[in-house]
Amino acid sequence: MWKSALEWLPSSIRTALAHLPANWMNRAEEIRIRIDRPLEVVAAGEYTFVTPDGRLTLSAEQAFKPAREDCAKLLDRVTNHSFYTMEEELRRGYITVRGGHRIGIAGRAVLENGRVRTLQQIGGFNIRIAREVRGSAEQLLPLLWDPVREAFHHTLIVSPPQRGKTTLLRDAARAVASGGWSSPERGGRPRKVGIVDERSEIAACVDGRPTFDVGPRTDVLDACPKAEGMMMLIRSMSPEVLIVDELGREEDAEAVLEAAHAGIAVMATAHGRGPDDVRERPSLAPLFAERVFTRIVTLAPRGPTGTILDIRDASGERIAVPERTSIAWRL
Amino acid sequence: MLKWIGASLILLAGTAFGFLQASRYERRPKELRHLGNALLTLETEIVYGVSPLPEAMSRIASSVPKPVSLLFADASARMRETAAERTAADSWSEAIHAVWPRLSLADSEKASLLALAPTLGLTDRDDQAKHLRLAAAQLRTEEETAREEQRRYEKMWKSLGALSAALVVILMY
Repeated sequence: MWKSALEWLPSSIRTALAHLPANWMNRAEEIRIRIDRPLEVVAAGEYTFVTPDGRLTLSAEQAFKPAREDCAKLLDRVTNHSFYTMEEELRRGYITVRGGHRIGIAGRAVLENGRVRTLQQIGGFNIRIAREVRGSAEQLLPLLWDPVREAFHHTLIVSPPQRGKTTLLRDAARAVASGGWSSPERGGRPRKVGIVDERSEIAACVDGRPTFDVGPRTDVLDACPKAEGMMMLIRSMSPEVLIVDELGREEDAEAVLEAAHAGIAVMATAHGRGPDDVRERPSLAPLFAERVFTRIVTLAPRGPTGTILDIRDASGERIAVPERTSIAWRL
Repeated sequence: MLKWIGASLILLAGTAFGFLQASRYERRPKELRHLGNALLTLETEIVYGVSPLPEAMSRIASSVPKPVSLLFADASARMRETAAERTAADSWSEAIHAVWPRLSLADSEKASLLALAPTLGLTDRDDQAKHLRLAAAQLRTEEETAREEQRRYEKMWKSLGALSAALVVILMY
C-alpha cells in the first residue's frame, strides 16, 4: 500500500522515501509535500521529516525540501496531465487515485459567485495512504447480526478521524457480500451490498471498477452525494445491505430513515468521539429519535488503529463483546 | 552518348528539385488546415468531452491525416510513458521537436504550437479553450498567406526547375 502510493511521486521524492525504516513504511498514514518545505511523513499520530537520503529527522533544516518542479510533476501525474478533468475534485479539495489513496490539495482558491470554482497555484499535497485490511470486520459482523429478524442491525460506526472507520466499513462490505463471515445457521450467506461512495474512499473506483476488494455481490455508486445516492441505489440495485461513509447532513439522515423503513440494513459511519457526541448532532438527531441504529460501534481514540471501544444498542446499553474480539489490525 | 546521359540527368535533377519545392508550397496550407482542425477538435475534447489529454490526443491522431497526426500520436505516447516523468508541457514540446522535420511548416507556426506547452493541461477548461483557439486562429491566418504563396510559387517552381536545368544543359553544350 505504501509502495503503490509511492508510484505517484516524482523520482526525487520517491528516492528519499524509499529508504525509510520499515516500521515507518508500514505504519505511515500520510505523506505531506509542500513546495520548498520539509517532506513529512505522519504515522499513528507521530510525524517526522525525511532527509534526502531517507533518514528521519525532526530538524527542518536537514530535511528534503521538494522543489516547485517536483510538485508540478506530482500534480501533472495525479491529474493524468489534465487538470481540467478534475474540476469537481478540486472544488472538494482532493483527488482519489488508483490504489484508493486520497490526495488532498491546497492552493489558491478561484471564486465564482462567492463559491469555490477551482484551485490554482497548488502548493501543498497530503497523500493519505489507503489501507485495505482484509478480515478486520469478520469478528465484528456476528455481533451485528439480529437472529430474530434474520437481518443485520442498522449499524453506526463512530470514531475520531484516522482511527479506521473506513477500513472497517470497507471490510464489512467485502465480508457481507462474500459471505462466510459466520457459521451458516447464523445467516452467513452472501448478501447484495450497495455502497454509496461519495468520496471514492470505500471502493476507490477507477474507470468504474473498485480497486479495493469490496466483495462479489457489491454495487458501488461512485462520487455520488450520499442522500441522493442512497435513494438511487434503493430504487435501482435493490441492496440488502446499504453502506455509506460519514453521515453528517440532514438529508443523509432522511435517506437512512427511508432505507431503514424499506427493510434495508444500513451500515454507516460518523465522526465523533463516542455515541453521545453523535447523538447531539442536530443533523443526526432524527435517527436517534426514531432509534434507527440498533448497534453503535465506537472505536477507541487511542491504541492500535481499529480497536473497538464498545458496542451499544439503541438505548445506549453496552452489548457484551466476547473477550477475544479485538479487531485492532496488525500492520 | 555520354553527353546525352549527363544532360538528361541534369534535366531530371532540376525538374525533380523544382517539383520538390513546389510540393512544399502545396503541402503547407493542407497541413496548416489539418493542424488547425486538430486543435479545434482538441478544444472540443477538452471542453465538452472532458477527456484527459493522452486519450484526447490519441483520438485526434487517428482522425487527422498524416503527417499532422504524428504530432499528436507522439505527444500522447510520451505522456503515457509514466516512468519518464514527463509533464504534459514536456511531452508536447518534445513531440513538436521530434516530428517537425516531417512537416512542411515554418518557424512561426512552430512557435505558436510551442506557446501552447506551458499551459497545456494545467488550467481549467475555459482557459485551455482560449489558448487552443488562439493557436488555431494564428494557424488560420498563416493558412491564408500559405495559400497565396502556393498560388504564386507552386507553378513557378515546377517550371523553374526544369527551365534552369535546360539552361545549364544549353550552356554546357
